[in-house]
Amino acid sequence: MTTATLPVPLSVKPRLSAAGIVRSEWIKLRSVRSTMWCYGILVVLMLGIGVLISCLADFGGGDVTGDTARSIVVAASTGGLNVAVLIVAVLGALIITGEYATGMIRSTFAAVPRRTGAIAAKALVLASTTFVATSVAIWLTALVTWPILAGRGVEVQLSDPSVFLPLLGGAVYVTMIALLAFGFGMILRSTAGTLATVLGLIMVAPLILQMLSGLTQAGWLTDISALLPQNAGSHLYAYSGTAALPTADTGRLTLNGWSGFGVLAAWDAIVLSAALILVKRRDA
Amino acid sequence: MIEIENLSKRYGPKQAVDDISFTVRPGVVTGFLGPNGAGKSTTMRMIVGLDRPTSGQAKVNGKLYADHRDPLHEVGALLEAKAVHTGRSAYNHLLALAATHSIPTSRVHQVIEMTGLENVAGKRVGGFSMGMGQRLGIAAALLGDPQTLILDEPVNGLDPDGVLWVRQLTRYLASQGRTVFLSSHLMSEMALTADRVVVLGRGKVLADSSIEELTGKAGTTRVMVRTPAPTALIKAIAGPGVSVTQMPDGLLSVTGMPAEQIGDAAFRNGVPLYELSPVRASLEQAYLELTQDEVEFRAEVAA
Repeated sequence: MTTATLPVPLSVKPRLSAAGIVRSEWIKLRSVRSTMWCYGILVVLMLGIGVLISCLADFGGGDVTGDTARSIVVAASTGGLNVAVLIVAVLGALIITGEYATGMIRSTFAAVPRRTGAIAAKALVLASTTFVATSVAIWLTALVTWPILAGRGVEVQLSDPSVFLPLLGGAVYVTMIALLAFGFGMILRSTAGTLATVLGLIMVAPLILQMLSGLTQAGWLTDISALLPQNAGSHLYAYSGTAALPTADTGRLTLNGWSGFGVLAAWDAIVLSAALILVKRRDA
Repeated sequence: MIEIENLSKRYGPKQAVDDISFTVRPGVVTGFLGPNGAGKSTTMRMIVGLDRPTSGQAKVNGKLYADHRDPLHEVGALLEAKAVHTGRSAYNHLLALAATHSIPTSRVHQVIEMTGLENVAGKRVGGFSMGMGQRLGIAAALLGDPQTLILDEPVNGLDPDGVLWVRQLTRYLASQGRTVFLSSHLMSEMALTADRVVVLGRGKVLADSSIEELTGKAGTTRVMVRTPAPTALIKAIAGPGVSVTQMPDGLLSVTGMPAEQIGDAAFRNGVPLYELSPVRASLEQAYLELTQDEVEFRAEVAA
């Protein structure tokens, strides 16, 4: 270690600003290894699952066109999203629980003592990088699987809105799950507790509700299940056809792309607001 | 300038800080002393708005910390070693903190150089020794060129070289008219660094004075005397205000008479002296006397 010296004054006056806080959070996100690992794994898994689906799925042989073809392309490009949400849930949790676990949160809040700015900047950086990374994964998968599917007789245009919109919705869905995990991370502050809660909510809860409603035939359980983040979010990237198809009225809650987005947005809004109130009140 | 007004903090049933008030002035180094658990760190965290006071307030440079336009330019704080993400390099840690206040990258290099971290700045903080963690914390505190510095136990884990540097650094910053407030549980270090001390014990202020005042207050000066004829000596020096205590090892502890007069009296009366030593109350002793009843965890000594 070299010898320490006496301080020199700073030539420019430090100025706290929103842009500065966002830049700070971006530096933080890119300077820990877990970020690149998570996004890297996300892209590789999405691509791998997409290629598997397009190579192995049975399309019934012959040329496939129209709604069937488009739904196959959407399914292949978004096939890995159920795994992707698990990865971004980890990332969304770590971005804040990692700071609580290491004590970094005190440095963060000493620099931004009102706290809201730091939290908003974290959310913004997490959301934009997750959206970009997931979009890259989805479109890369779409482009790679396109010739594979074309070779198996599936004809499709990626620019078709009925294809384009679910692919966009998939990235929105994954981003919103990342924010949900971030919110739970702020509330619970521990990595293990946050992961258990978020994974429980998006993976275990739908299974339990499905099992219970199957056993009890209680329709309201199905309604609740439809409102869970993962079930509501699945409508964002589901292929819904070029024309609105008449659905059988079961008397039960049915979501579509927009209402699914609404439900997920409500989850994010509630959890993030509660988290922000707690973060501002609690000792760091 | 730090103004603490009737500040209290309660964690559940534990009163960590109990209605304390004091002022830390610019231009001098103020030490914050007290045994472990006295409430020093809690007080410092409340000053920079990390912990919310149960009652009262702490103002820095005239305002609550959170109300400052550019907090890192007002206060630089080392709150504990390694309030740092262990997976990030020291350089990136400082770069991220600097970015919030648009502090240029050149300043990050400057504080790395000032704290002697050039060789490890690119390494992840998780592998840092405590001393390196302290240097990084001090580097972060200096980043915004703050008017007020708050350092919680800055010399903990530092090598002798580092301890000396912290001493020079704090005195230099104070000489520039800045406010320097540093805590320690080591009295000896404070005696060399601080001009004033605030002593805390069990959440209360026990003393708030200059180093000289604190030493002066601590008991009266004693003289230890060893002689083969204690009875003769006691007779020779007897007088108003003089008291003699027989120590277990045969020493006599005399208060109320300076060593010179004791020596003269012994010489006049032909009493041989083997030892004659004045004992000045040290800051260490003053501190021990002050905090004697306030130590939260005391090792029980078997009788």
